[in-house]
Amino acid sequence: MSVTSFYFLCLFALALLLYYAIPKKAQWAFLLLLSIGYFMTSDPVTQSGGWYVIFYLLAAVGAVYGAAVFIGRTAEQRKKRAALICAVLFCLGLLCALRFFGLPLLAPLGISFYTLTLLGYLFDVYYEIGQVQTSYLKLLLFGAYFPTMISGPILKYREMEGQLYGGHKLDYRQVTFGMQRMLWGFFKVLVISERAAVIANEIFDNYDDYAGLPVWLGAVAFTAQLYTNFSGCMDIVLGISQCFGIGLPENFDAPFLSRNISEYWRRWHITLGTWLKEYLFYPLLRTRFFMQLPKTLKPRLGKKRAKQVTTFLAMFLLWFAIGYWHGGTWNFIIGSGLLHWFYIVSGELLEPFFSRWKAAWHVPDENRLFIFFQRLRTFALVTLGLIFFRSPTVPDALRMIGRGCSALNLRILWDGSLFSYGLNWIEFTILAVSLLFFGWASVRQQKGWLRERLEKKPLILRWAILYALLFYVILLGQYGPEYSAAEFIYQNFRA
Amino acid sequence: MSREEVFERLNGVFRDVFDDDSIEVNDRTTADDIEDWDSLEHINLMAAVESEFGVKFSMGQVVTMKNVGEMVDIILQKV
Repeated sequence: MSVTSFYFLCLFALALLLYYAIPKKAQWAFLLLLSIGYFMTSDPVTQSGGWYVIFYLLAAVGAVYGAAVFIGRTAEQRKKRAALICAVLFCLGLLCALRFFGLPLLAPLGISFYTLTLLGYLFDVYYEIGQVQTSYLKLLLFGAYFPTMISGPILKYREMEGQLYGGHKLDYRQVTFGMQRMLWGFFKVLVISERAAVIANEIFDNYDDYAGLPVWLGAVAFTAQLYTNFSGCMDIVLGISQCFGIGLPENFDAPFLSRNISEYWRRWHITLGTWLKEYLFYPLLRTRFFMQLPKTLKPRLGKKRAKQVTTFLAMFLLWFAIGYWHGGTWNFIIGSGLLHWFYIVSGELLEPFFSRWKAAWHVPDENRLFIFFQRLRTFALVTLGLIFFRSPTVPDALRMIGRGCSALNLRILWDGSLFSYGLNWIEFTILAVSLLFFGWASVRQQKGWLRERLEKKPLILRWAILYALLFYVILLGQYGPEYSAAEFIYQNFRA
Repeated sequence: MSREEVFERLNGVFRDVFDDDSIEVNDRTTADDIEDWDSLEHINLMAAVESEFGVKFSMGQVVTMKNVGEMVDIILQKV
């Protein structure tokens, strides 16, 4: 069941009423029931009849639950380690078997997300920074909390335990804020993303028919599609959860306002970045091999370079993992992994050159034009990576980039071709205006939540704005039977 | 070892790791106060502090340490 479907919204309203009507002590159990219900009505279950996939979820939670309880009880470091390794191998094995190895098995909803969420909890118990959850059902709710099953965010147990299991009183402000945020998400997904997808699909599926600017336009359309889809989905997810009184971690912080690629990765898919940093990158750098490496290399490379080479090597593994997690094939490993590693490494290596260049040309760091250039550069570099991400194979991506470089074709800007990529001029204008509005809102959002500013406006104006947005989404959103394709790309983009 | 001594030696470590002789750390210094203190340098810093004081931070401490004050508390517990 898609969260943009009418049925989902009806059930959501009903669930919300019940949630605040029942005793607070029972609320977490009710959320668990909703989560199981949501899981059992997801596509892998209803469309492929794979009701048994719930056992994959139950088993992963079981393994993590058992290992955590054991680690909490035993005093021997060796046994703790063994329990940790067994559970991690079990969960990662399940994840790889179901999603990455191309086996003809049905993968349950949200497996890439709940696996990381559960393992993060187990690592925290092992590191002695998290409490052990002694109730299997409560841990199951943490792993399977339904809003996050669609496409994250990846949760941290230490941030969630107080919220998930404690009762919540109806808070008018939380519920309205949550619903406003959902509306904003629907705007991004249904109005922008679905339209951008039309252009992206046309160009990516027929790139041989195009050359020059149209190819780049298709690539930019896909970047817009992916970003508004994924971040819009997050708005809906966080909004739903906020209605239940549960605040989830943010996954995006206007990533395209980043001035370089490192910053971009701190602002795009934030919870994945944090997870990998804390549970993969840091432990990797703290292994004996990586601790020794700078010392081994120092005599030959000097202190600074030795340190640099070591971090580059660790980052290579990190970015390989990010790429692999996105789909396990080379187009993902390159497009959302190694290419970004290359950007960051070359940025680091060229830093002295850039500094000299900036000094020679007297470019102050805070020059607005220079900041604009840096943001444009971030967008271009990310878009280049997303060409690989969207293309079925690496050779396809390379050929498409080649087509883009083979001509200029600037005339499409005035000869009407712009409206021949699947969107007529009305649709194209709606897309352009909505994107501009979204961009403006993103910049304004940097100075604080627009919802809080809206709250201070007079009642009539406030409702007028909200209704305008609501009707905008209802009238211009691409949904309904023929558009039920409003599926979230990150849900199971590998397919 | 007194708290002041720890801070004194930490200043040396920070200046060395971040290549900046003007750094003065205090209880409330965080990664936001030092420009180059990002997630990469964090691990280098941890390693440098460990070898200066002959201590070993646990992974949990590496991840959750919020400011230099907490770092000093942990060092004083361990030496």
